[in-house]
Amino acid sequence: MNSAQPQHTAGFHITTLPLLCAPEDTVTSSFASFIRAVRPEHLSPTVRQRSKRMILDSIGVGLVGSTTRVFDIALRYCREMYSSVAVSSVYGKPGVKLSPTLAAFTNGVATHSMDFDDTWHPATHPSGAILPALLAASQMLPSNTKPNGLDFLLAFNVGLEVQGRLMHFSTEAHDIPKRFHPPSVVGTLGSAAATAKLLSLSSAQCCHALGIAASLAGAPMANAATQAKPLHVGNATRLGLEAALLAGQGMEANPLILDDIPGCSGFSAFYSVYQPKPLSVPGEHHEFLLEKQDIAFKRFPAHLGMHWVVDAALSVRNLFINYAGSFSPSLIRTIMLKIPVSKYINRPFPSSEHQARHSFQFNACAALLDGEVGLGSFSESSIHRQELRELLDKVVVEHPEDNVANFDKMYGEVALLLHSGDILTGKCDTFYGHWRKPLSKESLLKKFRSNASHVLPEEKIEAIITMVDNLENLSDSSQLACSL
Amino acid sequence: MWAKTVTGNFAKVIHGLNANQLTDQVIQRSKRMILDTLGVGLLGTSTEVCHKVAQYSKIYSSDLSSTIWGHLDFRLPPLYAAFVNGVAVHSMDFDDTWHPATHPSGAVLPALIALSEAFPQKKKISGLDLLLAFNVGIEVQGRLLHFSREARNIPRRFHPPAVVGTMGSAAACAKLLALDQLECKNALAIAASYAGAPLANAATQIKPLHVGNAAKHGLEAACLALQGLQGNKQILDMESGMGAFYTDYNPETLPTLQSYPWLLDQQDVAIKRFPAHLATHWVADAASSVRRKLMEGSESLLPLDKIEKVILKVPEVKYVNRPSPASEHEARHSFQFVACSALLDGSMSVQSFASENVHRPALRELLCKTQLEHPPDNTPSFDSLYCEVSATLRDGSTISDRCTTFYGHWRKPLKKEDLEKKFQSNALSILPAEAIKGIIETVYNLEKVEDCSVLSTFLSGQSARVLPEKLRFL
Repeated sequence: MNSAQPQHTAGFHITTLPLLCAPEDTVTSSFASFIRAVRPEHLSPTVRQRSKRMILDSIGVGLVGSTTRVFDIALRYCREMYSSVAVSSVYGKPGVKLSPTLAAFTNGVATHSMDFDDTWHPATHPSGAILPALLAASQMLPSNTKPNGLDFLLAFNVGLEVQGRLMHFSTEAHDIPKRFHPPSVVGTLGSAAATAKLLSLSSAQCCHALGIAASLAGAPMANAATQAKPLHVGNATRLGLEAALLAGQGMEANPLILDDIPGCSGFSAFYSVYQPKPLSVPGEHHEFLLEKQDIAFKRFPAHLGMHWVVDAALSVRNLFINYAGSFSPSLIRTIMLKIPVSKYINRPFPSSEHQARHSFQFNACAALLDGEVGLGSFSESSIHRQELRELLDKVVVEHPEDNVANFDKMYGEVALLLHSGDILTGKCDTFYGHWRKPLSKESLLKKFRSNASHVLPEEKIEAIITMVDNLENLSDSSQLACSL
Repeated sequence: MWAKTVTGNFAKVIHGLNANQLTDQVIQRSKRMILDTLGVGLLGTSTEVCHKVAQYSKIYSSDLSSTIWGHLDFRLPPLYAAFVNGVAVHSMDFDDTWHPATHPSGAVLPALIALSEAFPQKKKISGLDLLLAFNVGIEVQGRLLHFSREARNIPRRFHPPAVVGTMGSAAACAKLLALDQLECKNALAIAASYAGAPLANAATQIKPLHVGNAAKHGLEAACLALQGLQGNKQILDMESGMGAFYTDYNPETLPTLQSYPWLLDQQDVAIKRFPAHLATHWVADAASSVRRKLMEGSESLLPLDKIEKVILKVPEVKYVNRPSPASEHEARHSFQFVACSALLDGSMSVQSFASENVHRPALRELLCKTQLEHPPDNTPSFDSLYCEVSATLRDGSTISDRCTTFYGHWRKPLKKEDLEKKFQSNALSILPAEAIKGIIETVYNLEKVEDCSVLSTFLSGQSARVLPEKLRFL
């Protein structure tokens, strides 16, 4: 792979994708070209004949298949779910209602759209995968069976707990992922579990919900840092909801889906090392993982790894300002980043907001230049600023062996190597917002108010804060969804 | 039984946890998470990606709707029509199988037909458009399967229709929608994020959903791409892209369009004669042959008590090795069941899997006498496997037969009359005779059909009078 950096000149809008070869030479491009350009004339007689046989057979098989029980369930589900009465709310759109699974989908996408949502250890984005499903489901239930706030909170925690436990089945999960995007793997099952809990499904139905969800799980990492990434969370929450609804309709899956089944993979399909462990059946006391392991909340909308380098960059920026009187980039020869190895967040020249949110280099430089990183840092104009590009040019990356790609152990170090020969360094082991240094209540509320103010008036914002704070006492949890 | 498994245990815990077990810390932390998530979500509604999916999702509040095969009484939005019809196609494991292994048509056809009825601006789609898009969907699946050696054998980890089927559906729908090149790329990228289902759900009721979902999600990916959603433009190239589903992955570019070499040209599909896993078709043919030999004494019933044991020499395929299947789904995935059924009845049919037949005592008795053997030269590949059935009688003699290529396999394709007979038999209880005839005629002349919505009309079972005027050829 050609990793040479492209040339650029001052004032120009640069293409920053490292050029492998001409884009048209990729396998993906060749497929896209084929799909686009192939014409009927290209169909040979054999192909025509064979494919028509297939079409005929397929239709016949489908027709007879419409007499099966599984078909009945799928159909009943679709008719009920897609009745013309759209009942579930969409974040920030008071006039709009969608069918529950689509509302969950849309809200899940919203949650992960800016990579601003919470992160846990082992790594996943747990809340976005379950909250939208629960909100949508709460509005779906008839008014005399609405779950109360405590039921809602319990279901939410069931969803979290299942995700956490599943991630402990594989040592692979402890590190920043490489193959499947965790929210799309464990998130789908977490959503199924949470919804199953809210809907009070039987034990057998809960089992099948997990099995059905497994067949809806799994999205490759390559779509991280693209616009499609938010769909991973949107689909996790929506498909988990679907799985639970289907299980509630009587759909059955493999009852051993989480167990190790040699020669025929169940949930283990998503991992190369897999050691499932049972959960202790709750007696009087159950130790939830959330008790021992808190969550990290982000202070700005970018991948969690960025938060270390930003704090390190801010610290060295202060040193630099003390040293030089002001932030003078011309004094800097090289910016050295010491970061863990993780391909999808190592981007020297991001060209889109999605890429910028997944770039150690970009976040370090933005922090150095502006003294802070926030929403505005990822706008088109901000990403392509000349001064920022110049700083990016100076960046060199190192991967110290002791810097493991793991959200519990990694650190970020930013060193400014000046033309004068002096070296200034900033290091961050634990950024503010990490579970070891949680956001204070005030900081969390500040973030919420700032976010919500983009789409909701103040009264509504305060109402939501109050409702969540007193969630256990809410008699009808669908009010939360309605207030959005 | 499942309470002793991890899975069952999870289910039990999910079911059994109650609010009393929430500690204060957990409550506090989780409420912080809820609040943060809501705020982040509200903010996120202002993003471009969110606008696109909201736009997309609103489709379901309009009156766009597509046919559910065999039903005149109601329709569904295209996505769910694709889903339901896709489930129907794979519901009995009666649909086609290709090499390398997948069920290619079920993932593509339902999506295309549903889409053709709900086309943007009500544009008419010709039969030729449909045929071309269908073949694009098949071709893409085949090419993807060639990217991994793993794919040559019967699968063990992910169920192929859920992996390549989703991609094929996306490609086919992208073609029908005439997406531009960039949009096609994005359709593939988006589809990848929906692909994949573990094999363990095969032989359960959920397996048909793998095909239903492949069709539906591929269609969704194409629709999202049409709305401008973007994914990783190198999704097929990267190990962390499609490569995530395989342990060895070597993607290659497609040949040039100049006299394009379609895979379907070089490699036909197998069409099943009865609704069960493909591997059982070898067993059925061998068993039927053994039965004929056994019956040479011209008795009307199989001399069950004369049979001491039955040995099946089959490849090692765990999920089709079921000595005592308890449901129709399991029976369709059981070498043993099909062998015994074919021995008892002489041939297999849709009825062989009815509950009364799955549980009949004579069958159960024969199952007890049945064993499997896995000769090392019997590779688990649909191109090279064989099945041998040997019945050892009480007098010590053995009658056996080996099947290397069953009738319906690509090396011995079904004749036109037999393909039609299968279709007619399947459609019989669902559609009126005119519609059945109409579909056969339409498909045979697909390239000349001006408006392929006539196919949907027949599929919904509309009355004879409506039909002739709709069937117009170019």
